[in-house]
Amino acid sequence: MSLQDFRAMMERCSNCSYCKWIPFDKMKSQRFAENCPSSSYYNFNTYSARGRFQLAQTLMDGRCDYSDTVTEVIHSCMACGLCDVSCKVCRYNLEPLEHNIELKVSAVEKGKILPEQKVIIDNLKKQMTMLPGKTKVKRLDWMKDLDLKDILKDKCDIAFFPGCKYSYDENLQNVCRSVIDIFKKAGVIVGTLGKSDNCCAGRALQMGFREEYTKAATANIKALEKSGVKTLVTPCSDCYHTFKRQYAKLGLKIQVLHTVEYLNTLIKEGKLKLTKEVPLTVTYHDPCHLGRLGEEYIPWEGKEKKILNQVHTWEPRRPRYNGAYGIYDAPREIIQSIPGVKLVEMERIREYSWCCGAGGGCSETYHEFASWTANERVTEANSTGADALVTACPWCESSFSNAVDENGKKIKVMDIIELVQQAI
Amino acid sequence: MALDKEKYQAFEDIVGKRNISQDPGVLETYRCIAQQSSAHYGPYVDHMTPLPQAVILPGSTEEVQNIIKLCNKYKIQFKASTTFWSAMGFIGSDYAVQIDMRRMKYLEIDEKNQMAIIEPHAIGAVVQAEAMKVGLNLNVPGVGCSSSVLASTSGWVGFGPSSYFMGCAGENLLGAEWVLPDGRIMRTGSLGAGAGWFCGEGPGPSARGIARGFAGSAGTMGICCRLAIRLHPWPGPANFPTEGTIPAYRAVLPDNFKTYTLCFPSWDAYAQAFNLFFENQDILYLGHRQFNMFGRDAKGAMVNILTDPDKQFCDLPELMKDPYIKKQTELMKIDIQVVIAGMTKRNMEYKEKAIDKILELTGGWKNEMMLKPEIVNWVLMYLLRLGHKNLNYTFCGAYEGNYGMSPNHFVTAPLMEEASEIKDKWAKKYTSIADTGGDSDMGSISIIGGGGATGWEFFVNFDAYDKDSIKGTKEFIDSTQEWMFKKGLGVDMGRWNADLRKSDGKNYSQEEHDAMYIKMPQPMFLTYNWKIRNVFNPNNLTGSYYRTLTPEKLKTD
Repeated sequence: MSLQDFRAMMERCSNCSYCKWIPFDKMKSQRFAENCPSSSYYNFNTYSARGRFQLAQTLMDGRCDYSDTVTEVIHSCMACGLCDVSCKVCRYNLEPLEHNIELKVSAVEKGKILPEQKVIIDNLKKQMTMLPGKTKVKRLDWMKDLDLKDILKDKCDIAFFPGCKYSYDENLQNVCRSVIDIFKKAGVIVGTLGKSDNCCAGRALQMGFREEYTKAATANIKALEKSGVKTLVTPCSDCYHTFKRQYAKLGLKIQVLHTVEYLNTLIKEGKLKLTKEVPLTVTYHDPCHLGRLGEEYIPWEGKEKKILNQVHTWEPRRPRYNGAYGIYDAPREIIQSIPGVKLVEMERIREYSWCCGAGGGCSETYHEFASWTANERVTEANSTGADALVTACPWCESSFSNAVDENGKKIKVMDIIELVQQAI
Repeated sequence: MALDKEKYQAFEDIVGKRNISQDPGVLETYRCIAQQSSAHYGPYVDHMTPLPQAVILPGSTEEVQNIIKLCNKYKIQFKASTTFWSAMGFIGSDYAVQIDMRRMKYLEIDEKNQMAIIEPHAIGAVVQAEAMKVGLNLNVPGVGCSSSVLASTSGWVGFGPSSYFMGCAGENLLGAEWVLPDGRIMRTGSLGAGAGWFCGEGPGPSARGIARGFAGSAGTMGICCRLAIRLHPWPGPANFPTEGTIPAYRAVLPDNFKTYTLCFPSWDAYAQAFNLFFENQDILYLGHRQFNMFGRDAKGAMVNILTDPDKQFCDLPELMKDPYIKKQTELMKIDIQVVIAGMTKRNMEYKEKAIDKILELTGGWKNEMMLKPEIVNWVLMYLLRLGHKNLNYTFCGAYEGNYGMSPNHFVTAPLMEEASEIKDKWAKKYTSIADTGGDSDMGSISIIGGGGATGWEFFVNFDAYDKDSIKGTKEFIDSTQEWMFKKGLGVDMGRWNADLRKSDGKNYSQEEHDAMYIKMPQPMFLTYNWKIRNVFNPNNLTGSYYRTLTPEKLKTD
């Protein structure tokens, strides 16, 4: 795809502003009605999906250039995909999220990148991780004493892919170790990619660095294919989306599961029993890349076809990604199966969940904006009266752990795996 | 072109650095590409409104006032908008600033006095969501819940499906706070007397006729910053109990809510039913011919697509051939969707009986397919929140309202088949517009005042990315305008704004307006508008959407 391929969408976008709100049918209050972090924070129409459609047209037609502001507009999209969900309540022929990423790709190809992005991408190239300052040699430290198998050498039930955040972040490494412990207790033979375990590079794609992403993805796919593993399990929602949706586009054909899906199956099969009471009221945050962006990739090749003179459709039927079939129930079923835990919902949940602020690499590039986005979510979480905010993504956890609500109050942030561990 | 440094700095000093921009990329996103939306003129290929000198986002009435004072000082035009749907909210000259009101979103529900005090960015959905918590609701205008309530209340007639029960937006206007085009603040109604927001017409000044309008002034001058609207009873839950898989969301409401698609054997029976609804003003909560906007032949199939999360438009041809859907679609050829809401059990029984009686008197019936629970719950959600208005564009990416015939149902109903046939023949011959069965009329049982009036609008769907489709649509509306003139029906809806914005997206000059309006059969009221404008807007800074005729022209011609 190129930006030019989105021309028809740019022209057919009707400026309705649906991309700035959660689906109207789901709206319960003014306070938690908006959906797009960048348009809510920056306020100008330019920062909405509609604005970005129009900006792209303008750039292609040569009516403006990549000023600092334009570059900021492009790269401040968190690629969270909520504009896409809201748009598609009514529209069947627009793809705002794909467009926003293509706009980033186009900017990157022209060298219009942020200094912080350069550091991240350089580290990806040199150290195979997008966490600046982290090195390849330290990547497997978290699993040193766990005696894990190597899927390239040993036969395993699943390939466990922790992702960079769980691998390097000392506050999160224990979560990963807990998962392994739980899996082992359930009798699952777990392996990793060992020395071939590298960054999935999904965030590179979210930031518009398609070339770097493709290079890293191709190497990872090659390693996975070589191992012959049939199922990959990851606790990271970013990695999950990357493997399940993006790598599938590049030909990866293995089953990809998030830890919550796998744990939920173990619970249902009776292989994992949650018996200990955990007296907590919790609210659950749906990570963008597990929820609305967690839908399975369906290969499609086709073209637009007009029927009834001018009505747009596709031949053959084109898959429609609108968040309808993301992973929402598995984490909720796990939480509700823990004795003593009470789940209270926020207003923006499931396919219309508010982003944590880390999407699109913004936690590394626009700190103030990313913090504001996370604070918004903590405000929403605190409004439920919950004791803890539970999620299933290390990026979300990291964002929320430093966040405060509009009254300056924090909330206890928990990985869903921690919650499970407490119940065993 | 951008403002010089001194002027830009002066505006920046008012709103702060992060709330103003003259970056060319930002400015370009504040141009309306009017071929995409219902702009009521054109459509024209490659049509854009002018590039603003700057985009300014005020955060308070005081900031708006200071911006307008500066505009007067520099003689620069301004235009305020909030949700920017359609060309009306965009500037019309090269020397103008675009004011984006989205930072102003104050909302207060006054439960005791059944009113809401709102700023521009309190859109219909949020006002409704907050009002429902205390058993109240607002009239969401036909434009849908994504739009500014203040805009439709202050600047337009604001009728919608619920106007039968709640009145039009304009009828719900209470106290208002305006910044006039010369920078003074006007507070109307009780607000102007320091008595609060509860009344629009006193004890302070009533400026309702000046401030807002429809066919006369077509909008307003200055910027309305805050106003109060009357709220109405909502006998339902505090929140919509929405369920279902996107996009087929639906709401299972209590038994005191029902929706029916009422069908009639003839247009005469349809008009008679409307009349009976108007004569008995307490039957409906909402009345709207909604799904016919997809076209007489396609509406049944479209309802089945939209209520099934796995269906798409590629399923349309097959569904249109499905014998059951085809039969049901035929049975709702002349139809309207209604919602009734019982305030008590007895009240509900009365409403059910009243509908049955009207159907008996007119030979009508309730459509069977539309009584399926999954469809009922979807229709209730759709009509009560009006959060699916972007379906207007879903077929092709662009639509224009067409005909907009007389609001008197007895004038219009006999012409419906002729109008439908014109559209059907055009679609089949020229293919520039979607061919969905000729009749694509939609509209609400709306204004109660004056014996009742009805909105009539044929949806013309065309492709905003296809130059032939755009040109062909313009030609189609030109031809329906000719037919409208022959029938004595006035201006086609697709041409309502043709005298307000030129094909290059710019305002008409006063000279051009004078030349146009002097030929009107009764131009006097436009000279009255001219006098009002001169009092409130001496520097003529708000564009040509406020229709005026120079009084001297009337004397000399």
